[in-house]
Amino acid sequence: MSIFLSLSKLYIRSFYNLPGKKAPGAKASGKDILKLAGMAFLVVLVVGDLGYLFIMMNLNLYQGLAMADMQGMLLLNAAVMATMLPLVIGFMTSLSTYYLNDMELQLLSMPIKPRALFSAKFVAVYVTEAAISLFFMVATMVIFGIKENPHPLFYVWGTIAGLLLPLPALAASYLIQIPLLTFARFLRNKRTIMIVGGIIGIVFGLGFNVYFQRMMPPVANPAARASTFAGSESIIAKMGQSYPPALFAWRAMANPASSIGLLAMLKLFVACAVGPTLVAFFLSGAYAKSLIGFNEAHIKKLTKDGANAFIARRLRQGRPFITMVRREFDMMNREPMYLLNGPFIVVMLPLIMGIMYVVQKDALLSDPDMAGVKALVDGGFGVVIAALAGAFMGSSTSIASTAVSRDAKALPFIKSLPIKSGTYLLAKLGHALIFGVVGSAIGAGLIAFLMKMSALDALIGFAVALSLSSLLNLAGLWLDTANPRLTWDNPIAAMKQNPNSLIAMLGSMGLMGGAGYLAFKFALGTGAFALWFGAVPAVAFAALLAAYPRFAEKRLARMEG
Amino acid sequence: MIELNGISKTYAKSAVKAVDDLTITVKDGEIFGFLGPNGAGKTTTIKALTGVLRPDAGSARIDGIDIAANPLGAKRRIGYVTDNPELFARLKAAEYLNFVADVYDVDSATRQARTAEYSSLFGIKDALGASIGSFSHGMKQKLLVTASLLHDPQNWVLDEPMVGLDPKAAFALKEIMRTRAAAGKTVFFSTHVMEVAEKLCDRLSIINKGRIIFTGTLAELKSMQGADGSLESLFLELVDDTEEESA
Repeated sequence: MSIFLSLSKLYIRSFYNLPGKKAPGAKASGKDILKLAGMAFLVVLVVGDLGYLFIMMNLNLYQGLAMADMQGMLLLNAAVMATMLPLVIGFMTSLSTYYLNDMELQLLSMPIKPRALFSAKFVAVYVTEAAISLFFMVATMVIFGIKENPHPLFYVWGTIAGLLLPLPALAASYLIQIPLLTFARFLRNKRTIMIVGGIIGIVFGLGFNVYFQRMMPPVANPAARASTFAGSESIIAKMGQSYPPALFAWRAMANPASSIGLLAMLKLFVACAVGPTLVAFFLSGAYAKSLIGFNEAHIKKLTKDGANAFIARRLRQGRPFITMVRREFDMMNREPMYLLNGPFIVVMLPLIMGIMYVVQKDALLSDPDMAGVKALVDGGFGVVIAALAGAFMGSSTSIASTAVSRDAKALPFIKSLPIKSGTYLLAKLGHALIFGVVGSAIGAGLIAFLMKMSALDALIGFAVALSLSSLLNLAGLWLDTANPRLTWDNPIAAMKQNPNSLIAMLGSMGLMGGAGYLAFKFALGTGAFALWFGAVPAVAFAALLAAYPRFAEKRLARMEG
Repeated sequence: MIELNGISKTYAKSAVKAVDDLTITVKDGEIFGFLGPNGAGKTTTIKALTGVLRPDAGSARIDGIDIAANPLGAKRRIGYVTDNPELFARLKAAEYLNFVADVYDVDSATRQARTAEYSSLFGIKDALGASIGSFSHGMKQKLLVTASLLHDPQNWVLDEPMVGLDPKAAFALKEIMRTRAAAGKTVFFSTHVMEVAEKLCDRLSIINKGRIIFTGTLAELKSMQGADGSLESLFLELVDDTEEESA
């Protein structure tokens, strides 16, 4: 196998934390099969969920454009989106994986050509970009295909375009990053680039939210709205028309069976191949050089007197439980990937909701459904809405559902300390519950403010939210104690690639949905709602909490590191 | 005093015993070396002795306290230096020391005095305000050693403590071992460095493929092998003999 292929395989396995091949003759255990089935189910669920979202978005857009007889613009919109999404996500991914870990230094010491090193990294990042781009193109092809019944070549060109469009976007990302990281030494630090990447991700997430909200109903005049956002005078259309690859993809898909389509495809192929080839040819050397000295540590040293004063000031006795909770805070909040995907959600979600409110304000206020919501609030259901929003926020940080996995490297040492396993894990719960309180307060408080609820109702909403989120956090911790992800190279795997986090999130959404449905179906008053969804979860929380230390003790003893 | 009686351990994902019926006693005031090739079972033994792993059979007693029956009581009497200094990279050195001292219930004055003493000895006093992630391997090792001594344990257990240490720090570490043994405390350490074991240990054990193949003094090893070579040559001879027997 060539060095480039070997490296590509190595990077792909490392990026996506893929398991290695089983030893010859080794049989999969029942647990392995169950895990695989569970993961497959989750993948289907997530893909189905996102697919539904993208398809509905395309359907809304198509219906609006069709009214103005501009349905062909849907394809240009798809080509632009299949470029823009990979551009931003690719920029973040290529930045966060620019220097993966100290493995890169070992690779630099080997007789590997910089071009092979860079190209392999490019391929590994491209896998995600291609999947995202293809996903968006397929969602568009489904709608356009059903509505317009195009020539079969339409699907072939669409698929190829989906695979090609991310290439220039990714090449552009590296075209910016390689010179930037070559000259800006302060950026050549894993932690710094994770923070920068995270901030870019947040800005993008908010931007995409604005775009998405504007695409979705309720809408008084779908044709006007569609024309505004994807019509021939729209920003999307102008971007597409001034960006040749999107234009070629559009032309190819709009004229699939003609020579125009074939010519456009050829142009697309050339246009998409040029960028990566040029970057690999001219910048591979600079890329390899920029890896040298990456993550160099600079220790801030104290003076002799300063060190004595520092010891006297900073080394003070504290209570073991408090010190353990503090450790949880520090270990999570100082790892950018953990902070941005965990505690920061409590800030992020209200921000997204705020954007939804601001962007959709006019439509929301004019929408007949909103009048119904207002009537529900006035009819005493404000507590339900506030409680469920607060509970969702309070349980959305993934702190508890990844708590044991995040500590995988430290477990042997922790187990050697004279602390009860139960106490150690309860410190983790304490950490999650602090954010549970904050999240519940923000979620319930925001709804109470927006719906102009009374102080008493807001308080009841908060209490129910706290009860539900505490139960969900404990359930998440229980889940990660029962089945933690203990083997990983990159901390991202313990959080973002941890199925427990996804299961906890889906469970939380399911519980919220179920609780809301039951509350409305049985027209539960505030008292009954507080009893069933506040007091009962509180009792369940207490019962689970009483049983947890024993379970945790046994489970932790069985973890072999 | 450390007593390991009939310890056996097979990992869940393996069919082979990592440690098989291992029995060792280390007396107070003794420096005990634990030697063996890679994968022989040294770290597994140390993990069983420190309560990190639960053995399938046998018992570990620390100063007469069974670690399975009274884990907290036994662990309080141990200072443990793990073979993996890649811990808590996001914490600052002082925060890590505070964490360990809190867990072992060390009062403020004592932790300050011991931190000043050992961090100065190992040359990391000026770096106490820095993040552990910025430390070199050797500095992390020095920090672990400092932390393990904060509660002045009766039993000091070190897994490959010399790895990554500069000569000055290695010398300081050996001196601390000698001082502690002279004060009647127990020192148990694993190592690959034969010269260290030869010069430092009162007694030693050699483990191979999970089984103890020798326990005693260096003089006893020499008389058993009928040779008068260095510990290194005796060790290699003994390990080779057991490899041939098992083949």
